[in-house]
Amino acid sequence: MDKNRRNLIKGAAAAGGIAAFGAGYYGPLEKMGKGLINGTAGKKTADRLHGNSLAPEYSVDPQTGEITLNQDQRIAFTVCYGCTTKCGVRVRIDNNEEKVLRVSGNPYHPLSADEHLDEDIPVLDALRGLSSFQDQGQLNRSTACARGNAAMAQLTSDNRVLQCLKRVGPRGSGQWQTVSFEQLLDEIVEGGDLFAEGAVDGLRAIRDVETPLDANNPEYGPKANQLLMMEATDYGRSALLKRFAFNAFGTRNYGHHGAYCGLAFRMGSGALMNDLAKYAHVKPDLANTKFALFIGTAPSQAGNPFKRQGRLLAQARSTGSLEYVVVDPALNAAASHAASDRNRWISILPGTDTALAMGLIRWMLENNGYAADYLALPGNTAANAAGEAGHSNATHLVIDDDSHPRAGHFLRLSDLGQAEAGSESDHPVVVNNAGDLESAEAASRGQLFVERQVDTADGTTTVRSSLFKLRQQAQAYSIEEYADYCGIEAGTIKALAKRFARFGRQAAADVHGGMMSGSGFYASWGVNMLNLLAGSYNHKGGVAVGGGKYNGMGSGPRYDLDGFPGKIGPKGVFLSRSRFPYEKTSEYKRHVANGESPYPAKAPWRKLAPPILTEHLLSGIDGYPYHIKAMIGVMANPLYGQAGLTEMIESKLKDPKNIGLYVAVDGFINETNRYADYIVPDSVMYEVWGFTGAWSGTVTKMTTACWPVVEPRQAKTAAGEPVSMDSFFIELAKRLDLPGFGDNAITGADGKSYPLNRAEDYYLRAAANIALAGKPLADASAEDIHASGIEPLMERLQGTLTADEVGPVAHLYSRGGRFEKMEKAYNGQKLGNTWNRPLCVYNEEVGTTIDSYSGKRLVGTPMFHPPRFWDGSALRDHFTQEDWPLLAFSFKSNLMNSYSIGLERLRMIKPYNPVLLHYKDAEKYGVKHGDAIAIESPGGKVIALALVGEHVHQGALGIEHGYGHRELGAGTHVIDGEKRPGNEYLGAGVNLNDLGFADPTRKSGTATWLENVSGASVRQGLPVRISVVNDLI
Amino acid sequence: MDTMRRALLGQMTKLTVGAALVPLSSIASAGINDQPPRREGDPAKRYQPPRREGDPAKRYAMLIDLRACIGCQACTVSCHIENEVPLGSFRTIVSQYEVEHEDSGDIATFMLPRLCNHCDSPPCVPVCPVQATFQREDGIVVVDNDVCVGCGYCVQACPYDARFINEHTQTADKCTFCAHRLDVGLLPACVESCVGGARIIGDIRDPNSQISQMIDEHSKELMVLKPEQGTSPHVFYLGMDDRFISRPDAKPALWDVRDPQGEEMGYEFHGH
Repeated sequence: MDKNRRNLIKGAAAAGGIAAFGAGYYGPLEKMGKGLINGTAGKKTADRLHGNSLAPEYSVDPQTGEITLNQDQRIAFTVCYGCTTKCGVRVRIDNNEEKVLRVSGNPYHPLSADEHLDEDIPVLDALRGLSSFQDQGQLNRSTACARGNAAMAQLTSDNRVLQCLKRVGPRGSGQWQTVSFEQLLDEIVEGGDLFAEGAVDGLRAIRDVETPLDANNPEYGPKANQLLMMEATDYGRSALLKRFAFNAFGTRNYGHHGAYCGLAFRMGSGALMNDLAKYAHVKPDLANTKFALFIGTAPSQAGNPFKRQGRLLAQARSTGSLEYVVVDPALNAAASHAASDRNRWISILPGTDTALAMGLIRWMLENNGYAADYLALPGNTAANAAGEAGHSNATHLVIDDDSHPRAGHFLRLSDLGQAEAGSESDHPVVVNNAGDLESAEAASRGQLFVERQVDTADGTTTVRSSLFKLRQQAQAYSIEEYADYCGIEAGTIKALAKRFARFGRQAAADVHGGMMSGSGFYASWGVNMLNLLAGSYNHKGGVAVGGGKYNGMGSGPRYDLDGFPGKIGPKGVFLSRSRFPYEKTSEYKRHVANGESPYPAKAPWRKLAPPILTEHLLSGIDGYPYHIKAMIGVMANPLYGQAGLTEMIESKLKDPKNIGLYVAVDGFINETNRYADYIVPDSVMYEVWGFTGAWSGTVTKMTTACWPVVEPRQAKTAAGEPVSMDSFFIELAKRLDLPGFGDNAITGADGKSYPLNRAEDYYLRAAANIALAGKPLADASAEDIHASGIEPLMERLQGTLTADEVGPVAHLYSRGGRFEKMEKAYNGQKLGNTWNRPLCVYNEEVGTTIDSYSGKRLVGTPMFHPPRFWDGSALRDHFTQEDWPLLAFSFKSNLMNSYSIGLERLRMIKPYNPVLLHYKDAEKYGVKHGDAIAIESPGGKVIALALVGEHVHQGALGIEHGYGHRELGAGTHVIDGEKRPGNEYLGAGVNLNDLGFADPTRKSGTATWLENVSGASVRQGLPVRISVVNDLI
Repeated sequence: MDTMRRALLGQMTKLTVGAALVPLSSIASAGINDQPPRREGDPAKRYQPPRREGDPAKRYAMLIDLRACIGCQACTVSCHIENEVPLGSFRTIVSQYEVEHEDSGDIATFMLPRLCNHCDSPPCVPVCPVQATFQREDGIVVVDNDVCVGCGYCVQACPYDARFINEHTQTADKCTFCAHRLDVGLLPACVESCVGGARIIGDIRDPNSQISQMIDEHSKELMVLKPEQGTSPHVFYLGMDDRFISRPDAKPALWDVRDPQGEEMGYEFHGH
């Protein structure tokens, strides 16, 4: 596009808007002359009418429906790595060129199919069901999304790393040499002066599971903890990585992308669902929900599972009976004009969702807008009698008196002298309908709002019911104050609450990554609380925890893939200071012994948070709690994903004194592993083994089976195996003489020992565990084996498994996994798969956790607080509205993700990400549609184009995520002296995370802004200011 | 079909000029393959060469339920792969608009999938000097790549910007409803991959087909693009806002691509 056209568009915009149809005029005229003189000027097409379109993969007889397969192609079922949804797909492969032709959905798969097929349906019948025969294929589709379609370009990308690389220049200089896999292993195991920069500790020296790494703080664990493992997410192979890390090498330290993805959401959800170990969450049962409220998430724009939610939303609003409201700072794809009678978008100021949630809760509690009968059920006995799948702790009494030794805990029978403390019968206590204290398991109902004095073994104390405490928090501000804070009118909040309450148990509030704000934990808990108040958990049309997965990597019916001889249990404090109370550290005890106040701690200790990559890296470099010596990253890219990290860490990563050894396992060079010392080329999508599950909202149990449907392209090991994450950890463990790998590493149910020398030694045995769990799958037929393209796999099955396992495992791969039948989805008005732990209006674990800055207990119910820093001070105490008038946020693209910029078919549709600016803000700052603007935050500055309109909340600035890359093909690298120039188009656009900044209340240079309770990276509501960039125009 | 045509032409009276529509992003309002304004005229009155090839018993058409379109572009990409379309050219794409509801004032997203309309009076056919482009008996408009000289007349003639000159083959290129798949009993790539289930293809002469039944059910609500052109398009839209049946008066999309320093880079792919 030339300058003239750009100026024309701008002129048009300034003139008030005409569509731009400028280009393309001269091209055809030019070709006309050429064509008439020379005949067809281009390359002759394969077919006169169908051009170069692909040959069909099969044909269907229009009368009989009989299938004839195209013998030049095969169809195979595996997983898509296009995003973290991990849909099951059907891959069309050219048998002659071994090339992937196109991808669509697996009809047996719940994440891809409208209604997934029972797996006893033969594969040829399933293929017929995808065809136009009797319109079957469009009455029940199985699809792949745009990214899922485009992602196959990864396989053949010029940017792939195909050889083992070792850096030859300084870290990050982009200078590499290829080395053999065996040399790479030698060097990282034994260490030495590997880069002529001085001695580097090898992994053999670091792997010490006995010696404490810090004698003064023995709780930090052994020296082996000085290896940090990073991973993007579980693409079906994490179990093998963790087997190496935790149970063979013995390091405690592993982190994945969660802390800069949706952790604040997950923890808020975990607080409600009484699961602060795995942070269970729910998604609406969209097929039956009558009213949905999406806050900080937008099915069909993005989300997990993307396609499943998008499809269900589309169907429910067009042919079903769903109404919904999308609350989001930005207009998104879920707000459908064509279905405008069924949905509405309400904009909100970024990072203020707690205010909205507490406003809604307040209205519901003050206007009988809650499921009183359900909430009054105090225990399992009462819930069972009422036919409910579970109960909440709304009626349970909390000891709410700081002077009481059990402050923050539930009042239990032992406090009343009626049970032994900690015993199984030490139930919480409620006030029953007669007004008396009674065990939650004995009472049939409890009173919802209680505040009274109770005599306990430790004296008279104040107790309040959980719901009473929630109401106290909700009433801390008026709905008008909440409205004023979040930018949604009070009348709208009240109407929304009323509407939500009216649909009761068929109302669902859905929330996700939009909660990554400075108050995200309580925001997520608050939004989830709406579901609890409505009683919609576990209810058909309410919110669903999902069906879970078949776990093949545990101790299964055929093989024990969990335990093994010599297995290590990792010990010690996580580098991220999580899951460990500060009060148990030696440091704390020293302060107390010295008569000093232990608070604030040197840096946050987050008892409730999982190990978080947002703290791991900077902590490991800063040395608190301890230094790391080596790092292995698998597809991990925190520098792109964590707001403010690049600016803070880049110079430190460049210096090998901070971390001696960094090995990356990846198919591509990204913004983080560009600083690696070695890169191990990994298999990419369709070349990998693994087993993946589904996220919540998928109401039936399922596991996707992945196998290399095409041969990996990268280098091979000396033994002839593809170099990959699997072979890397297997061979690394063997070199280090670690347990759990090599000969006799796997124990079968038959008592015999089996080897783990190749990837399939592990994954095919996991497949046997899945295929033979419960009622074993039937043997695959010869026709199924042929039609599902698994013939190349059969030899490996026969060479690895016992004879009786081959048939069922072939069945598993011929369907692309194991899937519970659709009929198991519901049980009357309840969901077929339910969550049975007591749901938390008040979470005892939260309410008794001490904040390591203030030394005070956390609030144990949802609450309102403004976005804040570690010391509790508010964002605006440091960065005023006057100086930083706008709040920036990122939102997921419906096309691009954080690692898809290399896919040219996505770039051609959306090459760039102009930022969303409200027209009133544009007027205020003199910005016109299409102007280049500088966006400045306390931590960085980027230049972007302004897309001016009403598509964003006033006062907010929206940045679509996935652009502004420096690597993944954008950067230039030199390999063996040969320059591999970057493509500048992959670097187009801006990344909101370049606007992230340091928490000003923490030690300089050690922390980006993280949400206090969870440690989640804050990316929603970053303070910014904008100005027009004049010199570019 | 006559009833249908009359019903669709009837929509003309509803043509309005809406409020300013702002494209959400760079995929927005530009045509599939941007073309300049062209001569007007009633194509129905023009000579149409006789239809040939294809199954005379069938008339293929597509119905797009816009209420079910989520704008995911799965159709765009799967079509692009299936038909080996050059980068930067499109046989189909989904335009995405920010639009204000005329009554409520609510702001929402409008998704408009676009492709060849396989018109009953296709203006692209009579203008072909070598009769390379023609309509099959089953209604599918195709291009004979062996005959096409790439003159581009048909590209100019199409009121829907649905055609382009394929830079590899140097011939006119466009959606064929994936005739190579329909002919063997498979679905077009875009239909097969439609995540929301918005795209319905089928034989409108078969009263039992899904599309015929949906046409019956929704006959009063269906609209086509640019009915005033008299082309009788055979892509029917359900849930259409009539402000969009002609080219919307929209604020332009931003096609600029900028590097991190804010410098203009231009569009990476040929065709725009």
